This record gives sequence, C-alpha cells and structure tokens, in this order.
Amino acid sequence: MPRTLIVVLGFLLSGLVGLGAYFLPLFQTAATASAVPRGLPNLNPIQPPSQPFTVLLLGSDDDSKFVPDQLNTQSMILLRVDPATKQATMLSIPRDLWVQLPNQGMGKISWAYRSGGPQGAVDAVESTFKVHIDDYVWIGLNGLVKLIDRLGGVNLQVTNPVMDDYYPADLNASEDPYGYYRVAVLPGATHMDGVHALQYVRSRHGDVRGDFARSERQQQLLLAIKAEASHLNLTDLPALASAFNGEIKTSMGLDRLRSLLTIANEFNGPNVHRVVLVPPYTSEGYAGDQSVVFPDWNRILPLVHQSFP
Amino acid sequence: MRWAIGVGLVAAMLAFGVGVYEAAGLLRANQHTVHRPSEVSAPSLPGTMYVVQAGAIYRFQHGSFQQITSESGWMQPSTAPDGQLVAVRRQGNYSDLYLLSSSGKTTSQLSHNASTRAVEDNHWAFYPRFSPDGQSLFYDFDPKDAFSSYRIDLAIFVSPMTPGSRAQEFTNPNDYTGGDVQPVPMRDGSLIYTKFSIDDSFQVHSQVWIQRRAGSEGAALTSADAGCGQPAVSPDEKLIAMVCTKGSSQSAELDVASLDTSNLTLGSPATLVSGRMVASPSFSPDGKTIAFLAPDSPGGHFQLWTVGSSGPASVRQITSDLALDSSSAPVWING
Repeated sequence: MPRTLIVVLGFLLSGLVGLGAYFLPLFQTAATASAVPRGLPNLNPIQPPSQPFTVLLLGSDDDSKFVPDQLNTQSMILLRVDPATKQATMLSIPRDLWVQLPNQGMGKISWAYRSGGPQGAVDAVESTFKVHIDDYVWIGLNGLVKLIDRLGGVNLQVTNPVMDDYYPADLNASEDPYGYYRVAVLPGATHMDGVHALQYVRSRHGDVRGDFARSERQQQLLLAIKAEASHLNLTDLPALASAFNGEIKTSMGLDRLRSLLTIANEFNGPNVHRVVLVPPYTSEGYAGDQSVVFPDWNRILPLVHQSFP
Repeated sequence: MRWAIGVGLVAAMLAFGVGVYEAAGLLRANQHTVHRPSEVSAPSLPGTMYVVQAGAIYRFQHGSFQQITSESGWMQPSTAPDGQLVAVRRQGNYSDLYLLSSSGKTTSQLSHNASTRAVEDNHWAFYPRFSPDGQSLFYDFDPKDAFSSYRIDLAIFVSPMTPGSRAQEFTNPNDYTGGDVQPVPMRDGSLIYTKFSIDDSFQVHSQVWIQRRAGSEGAALTSADAGCGQPAVSPDEKLIAMVCTKGSSQSAELDVASLDTSNLTLGSPATLVSGRMVASPSFSPDGKTIAFLAPDSPGGHFQLWTVGSSGPASVRQITSDLALDSSSAPVWING
C-alpha cells in the first residue's frame, strides 16, 4: 500500500474517531435506553417531513414519591403538525378526565400511563378521542429542567402572577419529597431557567382555573421550547442526549427528530392553534371519592376532529 | 529521520482528530453569552440609571456599569427620598424591602417578612414605589386569606413613612388571579397599577387601572382585550407607557398614550415597539425617552433599549450580552 494512502487513511480514521467521540452521547443513549433517540445518527442531509403527523406529549412527576414504573401523567398534550399547510394544533387533555380506559374500566386518563406505560397512554387517548397517534414523547421533571437549561433557558410572557405556597420540593432527591416551598412568578416577559419554567407550568394552587391554567402554561412553554429548539442543529444533539439520561422516552427516531428541527421555524404563534378543554367541554365533579373532570364528548369530539382527523 | 517523520505524522493525525471534535462543537447553535454589566461598556445615556442582573443592582453612568450590591436577591429598585433607593431583596420563601444609599449600602430594612414557623407563614413584598412627595411607600404584599390557604393574591399596600403609622391595603384584587401589581403613585394621591381578571371562559385579562384613594372602586384605563400592564408615567404625568400583549403569549407591544387623570381616560395609544418580548418601561427624567428591556434575539436574555416617547423611529439597543432582570424596571434619574 503506498505510504501516501496510509497517511490519508490515518487522517481519515483520526477524523472519524474525533467525530465519533463528539457524538458518543448519542450512541450511548441509543444503546442503553428505551429512552430514545433510537439508532445511530444519520449524518446525511435529511428531507423535511411532508405528511401530517400526530404526537402525544406526556409529562410525569417522577420524583422519589413515585414508583418508577407506576407513574401517572400530569400533562398530556396531543400535537398535530401539518407541514404542508404549516399549521399545528395543541390539545391539552385534562389529567383528571374521567374516561373508559382500555381493558380497565372507568378511570382518570392520567392512570393509563401507570398501567400501560407510554403505549397505555397512547391507547387510552386513541380510544377515547378517536384519533390516530403516530408517536409519543414522555419527559420527567428533571428531564424538562435539563432540556430547558441545555437550551439556555426560555422566554415566556407570564400572563398573571403565579402564586403558590405549597409548591412541591421534590426535584432534589436528597430533600424530603413531601416538602414544599413558596413560588411567586411575577407577570410580564421574562427569561426562565429550567427550575423556574417548571414552577411556572406546574403550579396550580393559586389560580382560579386550577389545572386548566397549568395546561395553558404548558402549551406556552412548548412554544417557547420550540422557539429555542428551532436554532438547534445536529451538532447540538449530543449535549442534549447526555443531559437526559433516561428522563425522556420517545417512539421517534433521530431522523424524525432531525426532520422536525428542519421545520420548527415555520411554526410560529399565529399558526399554532391551542386548545384547552375548559367548560363547557368539560365539567368538574366527583366519581366516588375522586375529584374528576367529566367530558362532554358531544362537544369534544367534533372539536377534536376539526384538527385531528 | 524516518522515525521522527512517523512520530510527527501520528501527532498530526491526533491533532486532526481533536480538531474535528472541536470543529463539530463550533457548529453548535450559538448559545447566548452572558457578561456581568461591569465587564462591558455601552453607549452613554444622559443621567444615571440603575438596573438589575442576577440579584445585584448596577449603576449605569457615562457608558459604564458599576455593581453597587452583591448578588444576593436584589431586585426592583426605585427612587426614594434623600437620593436613596428602595429595593426588594428576595430570599427563598420571602422578600423584604430595604432602603439603600445611592452607592448600594443598606441604610434600613423596611419590612420583616420571614417566618420560621411554617413555609406558608412567610410573606412577599414586591414593586416598592414612593409617592412623589416621598411621604408614603406603595408596594405589593400578600395578605393571607383566613378561609383558603391556597389563595395568594398580591394586593397593593400603602405605608406612610411617619413613625407609628400602619400600612393600609390600597387595592382589592380579584380572587385567585395572582393579584394587583406594579403600583405607580401619582401626585394627586391616586394610584395607577396593573389589575388581572379571569373571565367565565378562563381567559386572563390584564388591565391598567387607576384608583383615587385606598379602598375606592377604581377604573380601568385600558380594555380587557388589549392585555396591558407594567405602566410607567412620564415625570410631568402627561404620558403613560405600558406593555400590551393583545392576546399574544410570545410577544408584546410597547405603547404610549396621553394620560388624563382628572377624567380617568387615556388618549389613543401609539405603538413604539412591537413584535418583541418587551418588559418594564421607564421614562427618562425629561420624559422624552423611554428605557425598556427586551431580548435582542428570540429566546435571548433581556437587554437595555431606549426609544423616543414620541415615535418608533429611534429604537436603540444599549446593551448586548447581558441578562438583565426583566421584572426590574430601569430606574432613570438626573445626575
């Protein structure tokens, strides 16, 4: 073999090792988890998606109060993205919605994840809302905090003061998971790190709208995260992957994530339709000793099917 | 000789590999770089300004910033009698009001809101503003609801500065809205502030409100749909600047309107800045310029900007690479 070729191959190999080291966190994430991104990254240019798709976004309290495999979902948002029309719809599903759970009987829709994992939640939403879901993304408390911090924080327009004297002090495993502290998020535009953004979307005690207010704020945070993520490229993914470390699970592959990044900039406030199932679509009440939210399917299903065929 | 060339090539290959690793990192999206204000210079503005970053108050004079307090929860400074400042110090579950000298030295603690009994026994104090005559201090406080420990609505209180006098609840916030905030005391004793309401369809509305006296009914100066708040009044009390979201959760406008406090009306608002996350406007001492805070890129940290109070053509970015506290309006004074 000519010496020149050996030298060229040496440099090539060295470059590949450098590249491999950079993307190592992605490889590790793919190899070790149901936490995805799955598969090895495809470094080739990727086509943006052209077909509409629906993703179920799930969030859980996963602190030490809970058994890891038996979590409820505190947040469920159904997201429909239509790349052709550049329209997106976010539908927040109340966590206490009283529904027929597949193979279980009546229960809160947030319980579906506890018994069936992400697929259980997908099945419950598909069967009750009569929609098709292509993918899911689940994220835990620390995962959300790390995501936002890795993005450099998010900018949010706080609509009104968010006041809570009983905010759970459960992020840090070394602290009493039943402890609490006071939160005061002041109104106006502000830049938040992960911990403060989590306070903003998780607090509900001081607002007359209770869980519905949280849903509104969660949608707002998603738009803010989208705004930040739209600046990302493939080389940002290793740092993100290393941050999650099991705090995120998704059925989406890396190629799909990459293709979503390519269209993220095209979806801004005016073409993102936000739906929260406030009264009269739902009503609060009791089922046995459970405080629940009753759905009015005659109102909900026509509304949902306008955006989620 | 061959041996030396071989070692050199291997070293070059290793360096190339490291270079590829570093180059991949350089392709990452730009992270927002943040500096301490005292590490940067900025275009000079007339007078003196105080701004807040990371819990520290900075004085801005002649194009440079000087840190006047430690990074220990300081926020929302405002002018006080005798050339002093009044400011909030926020710590964990409570916040207190302090008087500071113009160089940042604490001269007195005005409130004692910490409690060691229970977390929920602590109190908040925010947005301190002295009345123009310096005789009374208006501020936000969270009175406890005897019937619901979950209800925490900020109300604006007024505390005369004479010894032995008691604080009085000036505004009556709507329940479970978070309360009334951002007081602006006027020379005639009335108060302009931001009030929130939540309608039957669970929509939040923010309105600039005016109230003549403590406990009186008050009147809205802006419509519920405009989503206005964060009022600032010009030194001659003829103009009001405010931030209006008009239903957007991702951007806002900086509007300015003429103010008629005798008839409790505003003139037709003019938009000075739009399409940004505008926050915390503040008038210059001559009333001709408004300072405000806004990011210079989507998702970026908040920077200091100015705009002429008579038109949008003169928007000027004063800082970059800072991370100013957007809930602390710049304090802009003569001298």
